[in-house]
Amino acid sequence: MAETSEAQASASASAPGGDAGGEDDKRDERMLECNICLDTARDAVVSMCGHLFCWPCLHQWLETRPSRKVCPVCKAAISRDKVIPLYGRGNTKQEDPRNKQVPPRPAGQRTEPENNSGFPGFGFGEGFHMSFGIGAFPFGVFTSTFNFGDSRPSAAPHGTAQYEEEQFLSKIFLWVAILFVLWLIFA
Amino acid sequence: MAALPRRIIKETQRLMQEPVPGISAVPSETNARYFHVIVTGPEDSPFEGGLFKLELFLPEDYPMSAPKVRFITKIYHPNIDRLGRICLDILKDKWSPALQIRTVLLSIQALLSAPNPDDPLANDVAELWKVNESEAIRNAKEWTRRYAMDN
Repeated sequence: MAETSEAQASASASAPGGDAGGEDDKRDERMLECNICLDTARDAVVSMCGHLFCWPCLHQWLETRPSRKVCPVCKAAISRDKVIPLYGRGNTKQEDPRNKQVPPRPAGQRTEPENNSGFPGFGFGEGFHMSFGIGAFPFGVFTSTFNFGDSRPSAAPHGTAQYEEEQFLSKIFLWVAILFVLWLIFA
Repeated sequence: MAALPRRIIKETQRLMQEPVPGISAVPSETNARYFHVIVTGPEDSPFEGGLFKLELFLPEDYPMSAPKVRFITKIYHPNIDRLGRICLDILKDKWSPALQIRTVLLSIQALLSAPNPDDPLANDVAELWKVNESEAIRNAKEWTRRYAMDN
């Protein structure tokens, strides 16, 4: 089996008319092909049995045989909940307009790693944050915020142009907000 | 007719670049979904030495449905009828889109090596194959010589 695929890969690499790229590139390309469309897998998902597909291709197959949902490669049980999406570094938002009717591929499942070390926080657990707001955006003056372990970017350091700008903006919003409140009271 | 799917283009290219030994599949000049196929009879089978012509057609929803394959050359085989229709599970309910033209034709070649008279399509052939295998094999060899050689 391994021999065959190796032979195929090298045969295709030596064949004319391919893209520029070495033999290894070709082999890598084929490794990442969808088992249905034979193209580089797009919106890739991998089955529990380890087989790679485009989600639109696999979805179409599952719709074609709703009564017998098996992996096209090895006939293991397969379903929407039994595939894992693959997120590469590239843009995964690329959408083929032909597949608009295809439901989005199932999301990945994340479990937080166990974290036993370090300061436990104020009994809320790490990353806890809570905020309640009154009024409408952008009148953030009225919102009160409780944040523990918040990871918002800190304010720009004093003296820089960005700091001046932020101060200026915040003053403008403050005045707009005050005017708005006055208008609410007196109008 | 809609544009040819990339999968069909890729499969055709690869069939040309990496032909399967003993099998040739050439797309028709007028219809890229129609293939002229020649399968050589496997060694150590009653079909050895024969060249069997088949036609293969990729339906509109290929690869979600199986290709349509039919023997054009007459053949004496329990799973192939007078019209050349083939009784093979992967062409029916066991089809999978991970299969390809290449794998289908290999399966057909394997069917020639291993006739299965318990799942017959040509009933008379299958019957003889079960009750008198040597005579059936003699018939198959005779048909191979008569219809699948020097043409």
